[in-house]
Amino acid sequence: MPPWPDFEPFIVSGLALGGVYALSGVGLVVLYRATGVLYLAFGAVGAMGALIAWSLTQAGAPGWTGWLACVAFAAAVTLGYGVVFGPALAARGPLVKAVATIGLTLVLYGLMDLLWTTSGGEARSITLPTDNSGFVVGQVQVNWTQVIALAAGVVITVATGAFLRYTKLGTAMRAMANDREITATLGVPVRRVEAAAWLGCGVLAGIAGLLLADLVALDATTLTFLVISSLAAVLIARLRSIALTFAAAIAVGLLHDLLTPITSVTNYRDMTPFVIAAVGLLVLSRHRVMAQSREEA
Amino acid sequence: MGRPQLIRWAVIAALLLFTLFGLPQLFSLYYIDSLTQVAVYSMVTLALGVLVGRVGLISLGQVAVLAIGAWVAARLLFATTQPYPLVLLEAGLVTMVAGTAIGLPALRLRGLYLALITLMLAGAITVVLATVNFPNGGHGFTGYNGALINIPPIRRPSVAGADPAYFRYSVLIAALMFLLVLAHIRTRPGRAWAAIRQSEPAALAAGINTWLYKLWAFALASFITGVAGGVLAGAVHYLYSIDFPTQDSIILLAVVLMGGAYSLWGAVVAALLYQFLPALLNNWGVSADWLTILFGLGVLQVLTTAPAGLADQVPKDLARLGRLLLRLRRPPAPRVPSQGGTA
Repeated sequence: MPPWPDFEPFIVSGLALGGVYALSGVGLVVLYRATGVLYLAFGAVGAMGALIAWSLTQAGAPGWTGWLACVAFAAAVTLGYGVVFGPALAARGPLVKAVATIGLTLVLYGLMDLLWTTSGGEARSITLPTDNSGFVVGQVQVNWTQVIALAAGVVITVATGAFLRYTKLGTAMRAMANDREITATLGVPVRRVEAAAWLGCGVLAGIAGLLLADLVALDATTLTFLVISSLAAVLIARLRSIALTFAAAIAVGLLHDLLTPITSVTNYRDMTPFVIAAVGLLVLSRHRVMAQSREEA
Repeated sequence: MGRPQLIRWAVIAALLLFTLFGLPQLFSLYYIDSLTQVAVYSMVTLALGVLVGRVGLISLGQVAVLAIGAWVAARLLFATTQPYPLVLLEAGLVTMVAGTAIGLPALRLRGLYLALITLMLAGAITVVLATVNFPNGGHGFTGYNGALINIPPIRRPSVAGADPAYFRYSVLIAALMFLLVLAHIRTRPGRAWAAIRQSEPAALAAGINTWLYKLWAFALASFITGVAGGVLAGAVHYLYSIDFPTQDSIILLAVVLMGGAYSLWGAVVAALLYQFLPALLNNWGVSADWLTILFGLGVLQVLTTAPAGLADQVPKDLARLGRLLLRLRRPPAPRVPSQGGTA
């Protein structure tokens, strides 16, 4: 076991990573509750947005246009998908809806590989201006991007909680999570509420893509499938509670990075989200079978 | 056996004979290798088709199961001099035990949760394999010695050393697996699975042990995928963990849905899409990325308009096209006379 100071930098990076996972997880949960769609293309739209931002910066555009383009792209694609395929698949089960988003993932993944070819061995990176300035806690250098990542996770979780609780749109989303049909008969414009959820989720996907491209790597495959780590947090929260999603996301990010300095398990640290999710799900489902048949029908 | 059925079996037998003896003569070694992969992956898609189409269980972790089969087979092939079919059987059985052990707790979950937990478990297995590595002739349990040069190839059966012979061998094994699945579908398990797919509570009410039959489906699928892993080990000679990324399980599900999960032909179509089409495009100089995009669009198309996949849709479309052509050639009589002379 390495001495404690070896772990300290990894607490900071782990918290930052956990913050982004939390932000992604909250987006996924809200969309799932409002529309019944588990959006597996969350990572892919963020990745493509980040690559677009990179291309814009390379072409000489100022940084902020790239960031805006990233978020706008992710939001537009997500909203477009939701508007086109949401109604078409509304009557199908959650499984079919989730698998359909795999279709979108593959399309985006293929496009990214085609347009930003990886075989050239060109390493890309996005640097945010907040990377280079920061402060020191104890002996650990903390940069502002890491602070922003964690803060974004906290703020999004709290804001989403308040939004769902206190606003009219949020109440409508919660009603739809309970029963789409009854909500529609009560006069809630179901399609418009769903569109709002898609848009919100798309914006979060763009922000997450940008932050992860900076914190982890700007690589299509990595970013596309990093959504699996957020999924782990979402699964522990059983696609329901955003507070639990936040806690699980922080745990996943923190544990993953804290295992890095321990040489005997460092190679296995990428298993963290999978193991946490698997164990969490199995323990939680010990006493009753999950996913009631009505939800599945 | 009725006459239509007899004809059907005759056609299948003729196709199989042509595949065994005709194809190796017609194609170059490049395509023979790719067709061997098709034979291997037709078993994988067959197994996934059983889970998805017959029982209604979606697994997003089949590539990890395939990797387990390949690992076990490679280890046994290096460690022993057992005949190849025996190794395949053992690889299938070990994979079956592993797959069932994984499936046992996962079966408490349903639908979306089951699909996601298989993805998580597959991710975990992939990480373990990346660290343990595939056997390369070393000693110890893992059989990996870190050597980068002078790695002995994984052996093939003595009767099928050359590529065309190994292709025939793979096709025969695949045919056996298809028969195994057919035997299941035509008998009690198949009926139980169909009932479970329609409605699990109804199946339960009808006195079907849903837990047992779901586990049975997992065991059968793992066995077949394990055997496929064994055939794959001999086909490629060298195995690396990067050949089994987690995302391939997702693409695999996409091609199975496109091919058609409800028919056994769908498995063959899916394997052709997954392995032969890339080889073809590669030969034509077209980027494989177009294929990924095509698969993505295919999934969306299948899920929104053609739930039974290409194996069901194409014959119907062809029949429709045939009727259309027939009508064009012989325009309906009553309309023509009044105008006349439209050639």
